[in-house]
Amino acid sequence: MALRWSRWSPQLALTPALAVTAIAFAGSIGWTIWMSFTRSRRLPDYAIDPAEWGRQYNRLFNDPAWALSLGNLLILGIGSMLAIVFGFLLAVLVNREKAGEGVFRTIFLYPLAVSLVVTGLVWRWMMNPSLGIENFLHQLGWKDASFNWLSAPETAMYGIILAQVWQSTGFYMALMLSGLKSINSEIWSAARLDGVSPLRLYVEIIIPMMKFTFLTCAILLSLGVVKAYDIVVAMTNGGPGQSTWTPAYFTINAYSIRSNIGFASAAAVVMLAITLVIFLPIVGLTAWQTRRRADRA
Amino acid sequence: MTDTIATSPVMYPRRKRKLRGSTIATYAFLIMCALFFAVPLYVIIVTSFKTMTQISEGEIFSLPREWTVEPWFKAWNTLCTGLECNGIKSGFFNSIQILIPSIAISLILSSITGYALALWNVRWANGFLFVLFMCAFVPFQIIMIPLIILMSRTGFYGSYLAVAIVHAILAMPLLTLIFRNFYKDIPQELMSAAMMDSGSFLRVFVEIILPMSGNIMVVVLILVITSVWNDYLVGLTFAGFSAQPMTLILANAVITSRGEVIYNVDMAAALLTAIPPLVVYFGLGRFFVQGITAGAIKG
Amino acid sequence: MPNIQFNQIVKQYGAVKVLENLNLAVGEGEFLVLLGPSGCGKTTLLNLLAGLLEVTSGQITIGDRDVTDLDPKDRGLAMVFQSYALYPTKTVRGNLKFGLVAQKLDRAEIDQRIDWVARLLRIEQLLDRKPSQLSGGQRQRVAIGRALVKKVGVFLFDEPLSNLDAKLRTEMRLEIKKLHAELKQTVVYVTHDQIEAMTMATRIAVMDRGVIQQIGTPDEVYESPANIFVAKFIGSPPMNMLEVTLSVSGDKVTGQHVPTATAIDLSGYHFAQRPESGMAASVGLRPEHFTTGVDAAGGQAAVFNLPLLYTEKTGADATAFMAAKDELMAARIEPALVGRLQIGQPVTMGFPSDKLNVFDARTGRRM
Repeated sequence: MALRWSRWSPQLALTPALAVTAIAFAGSIGWTIWMSFTRSRRLPDYAIDPAEWGRQYNRLFNDPAWALSLGNLLILGIGSMLAIVFGFLLAVLVNREKAGEGVFRTIFLYPLAVSLVVTGLVWRWMMNPSLGIENFLHQLGWKDASFNWLSAPETAMYGIILAQVWQSTGFYMALMLSGLKSINSEIWSAARLDGVSPLRLYVEIIIPMMKFTFLTCAILLSLGVVKAYDIVVAMTNGGPGQSTWTPAYFTINAYSIRSNIGFASAAAVVMLAITLVIFLPIVGLTAWQTRRRADRA
Repeated sequence: MTDTIATSPVMYPRRKRKLRGSTIATYAFLIMCALFFAVPLYVIIVTSFKTMTQISEGEIFSLPREWTVEPWFKAWNTLCTGLECNGIKSGFFNSIQILIPSIAISLILSSITGYALALWNVRWANGFLFVLFMCAFVPFQIIMIPLIILMSRTGFYGSYLAVAIVHAILAMPLLTLIFRNFYKDIPQELMSAAMMDSGSFLRVFVEIILPMSGNIMVVVLILVITSVWNDYLVGLTFAGFSAQPMTLILANAVITSRGEVIYNVDMAAALLTAIPPLVVYFGLGRFFVQGITAGAIKG
Repeated sequence: MPNIQFNQIVKQYGAVKVLENLNLAVGEGEFLVLLGPSGCGKTTLLNLLAGLLEVTSGQITIGDRDVTDLDPKDRGLAMVFQSYALYPTKTVRGNLKFGLVAQKLDRAEIDQRIDWVARLLRIEQLLDRKPSQLSGGQRQRVAIGRALVKKVGVFLFDEPLSNLDAKLRTEMRLEIKKLHAELKQTVVYVTHDQIEAMTMATRIAVMDRGVIQQIGTPDEVYESPANIFVAKFIGSPPMNMLEVTLSVSGDKVTGQHVPTATAIDLSGYHFAQRPESGMAASVGLRPEHFTTGVDAAGGQAAVFNLPLLYTEKTGADATAFMAAKDELMAARIEPALVGRLQIGQPVTMGFPSDKLNVFDARTGRRM
């Protein structure tokens, strides 16, 4: 009796977490997947017509707004990679010149404490043609300058990318910085003694040693991009037209504006699929790596 | 032989640290980047203190000619969101009423779960941890609709608690992993001693483990504060009409404004929304950095 | 004070059997030392007794209670850990108190016990300090105090002295021995250090690879090791093992050692079973029993004349290492003698016939 209590008490304590995982995560995912095969509109309709199980998906793939959203996802993803490059560069520079590291890090990181809504609003304000930066450049004498990216469908996404990069660079810089610091300090000394040029040192030695950090950043960035919603609402609310729609925006729109549960569920399932495609390779990679390390040990 | 030791000391001038060109360039670049990051904050602050007349002249970077606090009062009290003009103050208090239960639920749930998984012998602990790891990456949209239905069926929908509970649910996988990894570092012998002395799950947690958790609690606290305060989507989905957080009211005010856009009031409202987490950031910055890297480097 | 019984203990991890059909009885008030190299299973056995690990099969009884399925806190045990495992956020007093509160004692009793232990271990001044403010020796005493204050009948020690420096170790050895003499609990003590075992134990259980090789008093284990493992494990420098072939004729038994071309007279050795000619055996000679002196006087089982390789002096002792073809033979000698010896020169050593150990070369067991 007594021994069993030490076995049961932790399991008892874990029941809330188990319940949350089972209901809010596993159960919900299952429910949504089920819904994506139904004809539910405002209210859930659990009947699945086997002849037309894929109808929501058909609608989805034929919806030009969805294709646009996916395309935007890709653009946003690639553009946001700038944040990683920029972050790495900043990390390298801050790491080299030891003085002022704390100050710079504080300045580069504070955007993370700011809501994406506020970020989006401020950049939207700064991209205002008559009152923002464009006007500022005009007043400096540069009459042809154009910084009105948000008003044209072709350039609106770039505005969002800029705001996104502004917000997240500090984060990747912090990750890169800790990655750099974990590199054995003797490597730097050896390079100095060998007279290796800094560029070669970074390209051939440091960056390969930080593979895992880069990978982590890439994964986190991709996952963050998939979730991009707040910033779109704040900067353009999807416009002009539908040119800045993202899959997350599409899904929310399908639910709250089009009031179509089945359709929104299908979009959400595709979002999950995209997430898995990004996520599973790292799981495989880390599992493979830990097995390799265990074999070597 | 003749004494070769110099008898008159030659005074060499103190070697000055040579300011290398690359150092100057580095700092110049870093300062420019710092400006890039600082400028938006500068713009918000400056715009919020300007009069509309000065704003309409369009010099976005110039300091206010006459500093006015009026936009701030207007933002707080009379900011218009759609049909209502009650200011952003209700949003502030709503956000606080969402934040506090969020913190309580998240800290308690995740710390105890992390503790159980890290320090007690549960056969399926590793499997569950893996599942949690996967849940941390799940996009909100795939669980959104069932959660809405759940919240309305249980009557919570549209209340502070609903938003708080959803936040706690979404954060649980990540925070549990953070706690678990922290508790894993506690030496096994300490737990063995506690098992011999008391063996009680809760007593050991409260009297021994919790006092040792100061650092990680701060990190988790900061993570929760920033993610809950700055959230928009969860608030949009679950807050109904009476529990709208500050970000939601801010967004509504700016997006649904008809007619003339009152920039200084909007910026003041944005700043009001941004200040609490910024205060936490600048006040506890050290733990903040730890918090982010802890959040990112999981498992 | 209760006795302890291990019955047919099996501990398995997956396919690996760490302990198999282990039986052990610990008498009341005994100080039993589990001695062995790392990985021999001694700590596993201790943790099974403590309840920190679960047996795969088998039974453990303390006194007349079957504790196999009980939680550690219900077994009536106290344990002292290698790294002390003091609760870092509690004061010394808090550390001592923690286990007592779980036993639901009243405050007066708790305070009384804490005072008693504090006086006994001379830690009264430290009661309000936190572990981080204590030295290693002080922490160790608080850890012992934490165990003592529970006033149980069985004490477990898991290599408690290995984190202390040599001087402190000697002090604590005496202290623990004194405590045992005074309080008379049943003690199970795990260590890999044979000096601790020899000085503190009433009985030693020598373990290797999950099997108890020999249980006996320190004298028994030292003078009559049951097999080659025990023989070589106890004693420093370790016992010299000479591979010999036996030749028996009548009452005379001789072991022929080829590398040194010496015939060792084993007639005075008490064989458990009559040996046969041609058998391979290992003759164990402890370095401390060699006698120097040129005379091959009576009572010598063998006389060796081997070149000296090197010597080691440690103030009180000296050891000479000689070459026995490719192997080393160690012998204790008078420190004064070291100056008179020359490297490379042959040294004559005799070995008395009453200190022989003979083992079956195949099984390792004592013959």
